[in-house]
Amino acid sequence: MYRYIIRRLIAMPLLLLGIVSIAFLITHFTKGDPLISIIGERQMDNPVVIAAARARWGLDRSLPEQYLIYVGSLLTGDFGTSLRTKQGVGRDLAVRLPATLELVIAAMLLGSLVGITLGVVAARYRDRAADHLARLFALIGSSLPVFWSGLILLFIFSVQVHLLPGPGRLDARTTAPPIVTGFYTLDSLFVGDLSTFAEAITHLILPACVLGWTVMGLVSRQVRASMLEVLHQDYIVAARAKGASEPRVLVNHALRNALIPTLTVIGFSFAYLITGAVLSETIFSWPGVGSYAVDATRSLDYPAIMGVTIVGGTAFLLTNLATDIGYAFVDPRIRFR
Amino acid sequence: MNKDGTNMAGQRGMARLTRRALLLAAPVLASICGGPWLAPAAQAADTPLVIARAMDINSLDPARTWCDTCQIYVSNVYESLIGLGPDNKTLTPRLATKWESNADQTQFTFHLDPDAVFSDGSPVEAKDVKWSWERLHNIKGGPSFMMDGVKSIEAPDAHTVVVTMEAPNSEFLGILTAPYTGAVNSDVAIANGANANADADKSDTSEAWFMANSAGSGPYVLADYKADDELRFKANPNYKHGKVGISEIVIKNTKDAVAQAQLLESGGADIAMQIDPDTAKTIKSDSVAIETVPSYNFVYVAISPGAKGNTVKLTKEVRQAIGYALDYNGTVDFTVGGQGKLQPAPIPNGFPGTADLPTPTQDIAKAKELLEKAGLGSGFEINAEFPNMNVYGVDLSLLMQKVQQDLAKVNIKVGLTPLEFSVWRTHVRGDGIPLTAVFYAPDYFGSAQYIQYFAMMEGTPWWKRAGGANDASITNAKEGDLLKQALAAPEAEKDKFFHDIAMEMINDRVIIPLVSPNVVLAYAKSVKGVRYSACCNLPLGEITRE
Repeated sequence: MYRYIIRRLIAMPLLLLGIVSIAFLITHFTKGDPLISIIGERQMDNPVVIAAARARWGLDRSLPEQYLIYVGSLLTGDFGTSLRTKQGVGRDLAVRLPATLELVIAAMLLGSLVGITLGVVAARYRDRAADHLARLFALIGSSLPVFWSGLILLFIFSVQVHLLPGPGRLDARTTAPPIVTGFYTLDSLFVGDLSTFAEAITHLILPACVLGWTVMGLVSRQVRASMLEVLHQDYIVAARAKGASEPRVLVNHALRNALIPTLTVIGFSFAYLITGAVLSETIFSWPGVGSYAVDATRSLDYPAIMGVTIVGGTAFLLTNLATDIGYAFVDPRIRFR
Repeated sequence: MNKDGTNMAGQRGMARLTRRALLLAAPVLASICGGPWLAPAAQAADTPLVIARAMDINSLDPARTWCDTCQIYVSNVYESLIGLGPDNKTLTPRLATKWESNADQTQFTFHLDPDAVFSDGSPVEAKDVKWSWERLHNIKGGPSFMMDGVKSIEAPDAHTVVVTMEAPNSEFLGILTAPYTGAVNSDVAIANGANANADADKSDTSEAWFMANSAGSGPYVLADYKADDELRFKANPNYKHGKVGISEIVIKNTKDAVAQAQLLESGGADIAMQIDPDTAKTIKSDSVAIETVPSYNFVYVAISPGAKGNTVKLTKEVRQAIGYALDYNGTVDFTVGGQGKLQPAPIPNGFPGTADLPTPTQDIAKAKELLEKAGLGSGFEINAEFPNMNVYGVDLSLLMQKVQQDLAKVNIKVGLTPLEFSVWRTHVRGDGIPLTAVFYAPDYFGSAQYIQYFAMMEGTPWWKRAGGANDASITNAKEGDLLKQALAAPEAEKDKFFHDIAMEMINDRVIIPLVSPNVVLAYAKSVKGVRYSACCNLPLGEITRE
């Protein structure tokens, strides 16, 4: 098992290099001019200004030269400087990644727990009212566009009933806690600031619910399908014949086996949301990696696009690895193979 | 004692844990239940004022920055020599208490306020102004054109600046209202890698410093900047006009107009800056004030006779036919629900030379007649590429759909292709785009900037895009001559020349303004002093709170 993990970890840099190379080529062959985000439309016809900007950002060099310089910098841990924010891309991502992780982890926890519960209930009470309700709830979650559900929930809970706050990680009037982890919930607890902690939690509820709802839809459907398959197996009949209680049969015997394909869905969703929570981050003014990716793409901010690609690629590789390891823990047959 | 002593202990342990958990949770719950978000409470005087807007910041270095949010930042942190009054026309003293120019508008002398100091308390001197303007030019950044035509900048004493131009420029004073010309504390900036040398574009290394610090003399200083999240201002303790009304201001990045409105209504923001008229109608809160004022921004369509994708020759006759076929009033209704103005020429209403210009009107019969004359009575096809954007409340896709409908009435079939802005930019500079729609906002109060950008004079951006280099019929030499006269004319006479140029530009029919959308000012009623400024967007120093 350990050898397998080490082999996968060793292969990771090579896979990342492949991702970087493909992303570099695609980005640089796009028919757009990144200088627009640097100098503005007014000066785009001024050859002196254009030449100065190209030289400053190394865009006057040939593509192979730019590629070699970029990969060389990457090896030293330098992700380049964002054309748009004028900060190091590594620093930009380090600031945004905790925001995204805080949101995605909350959404995944919510989505997975509720999704698994609904899936189990739906399978147990197949074709009965509980099943229909659970499936309807899941269907709505996975069908509703995030930008719509986000705005509607904001309108109801923030504008109409004032139960939850508006967009943002904290109220704009509040000073953020000193950064330790970058998770405002944890960092505020570290300094014992319960008021900011409460604010961070309440700001997290709506975006996590909106994002978690989509995950919940996927998870519950997967769990239901797997559970229905598993519940007809002989070992379930045997467990019931031995007098095992229904919750024990469902959780210990059926769910454990039904979770294997669900882990793939959860793992994939997690990796996807790291860079893909774009709409939720936009609607909820959440300064995370997703919104950074969109802004970078719209302005053709090459170094930022590359940085997000590397983070996304790494997230997928690590999540796949974690999912595979998770299989081994859930299914002992895989562990000993 | 219970038979199972362990369980008893466990229960007691649980009870203790529950009590502890409740004790710990109590303040959190109290915070949640009594949090400020439950109801928009009255704000204390020292509570930060929150402005919701989509931040488009590309730099905080005044010589490199170029965007709408940047205008707000630079104008409130780096004070310029001359300001623009609330009427958006009158030049007002800021760092310069008075100024004069010679008769032929080639030399300008500025007298600095001897009491003006930078935020670190050091005096604002002529050397700082000279250095700032030379750096602005030599950095070769977005706003460097503001110093085009400047021959020399002298500082004969600590409080006098003398600027000599290469050619007459009666609009130079107007240019100085642009926030990018604000004075930078040269000693501080130099100590952090800045320089104003001729090679500053290569040797100046200060931008990273400017992203986290400021060195101006405006009402505010930079407190903190988190890219894509928030821009925080603090009152400048050494501001020469004394204490400002709000001690801390936060611009909170809120990209969507609806989200901005929700934040305003829920009390999370005090001002929402990019609310479009449709969204404004949805705001029902009694605590929010909504004002709609005319702006100097405009959205236009542009016709490029030199574009490679043209299926027919877009002669002046054909361009005029297109101009007559467009339904101007209908476009204002369709795109901004009537919350906008018609604009006859590519110079904003109210700017020099725009009085008494003819109002654009639709005349289908005239359009058909002109097309018939050009041998195109049966119509033709034309491709329209435009940025896929909603700008100043105008959705360019909607606007072009209206253009498509209008032109169909004279048998012109328009194909619509929305593009990302950066891609649109490459296309328009490359092979050209037969028909497009874009926008423009003023950088200062003055008409020359529009002529230098839109007129069919040799070398202007739109002359190049229209194909002026390959088609002599596009060039309008008269516009260049009139501009020279306008720039050399005394203040009282220049409007006449600008008016004549505007008429020429209308007649060229390369740039056809369609709508000048109103600006929606949405803010909490407790906030006072919110106004739209042509040069600076939102003067923060004038804002107070009840």
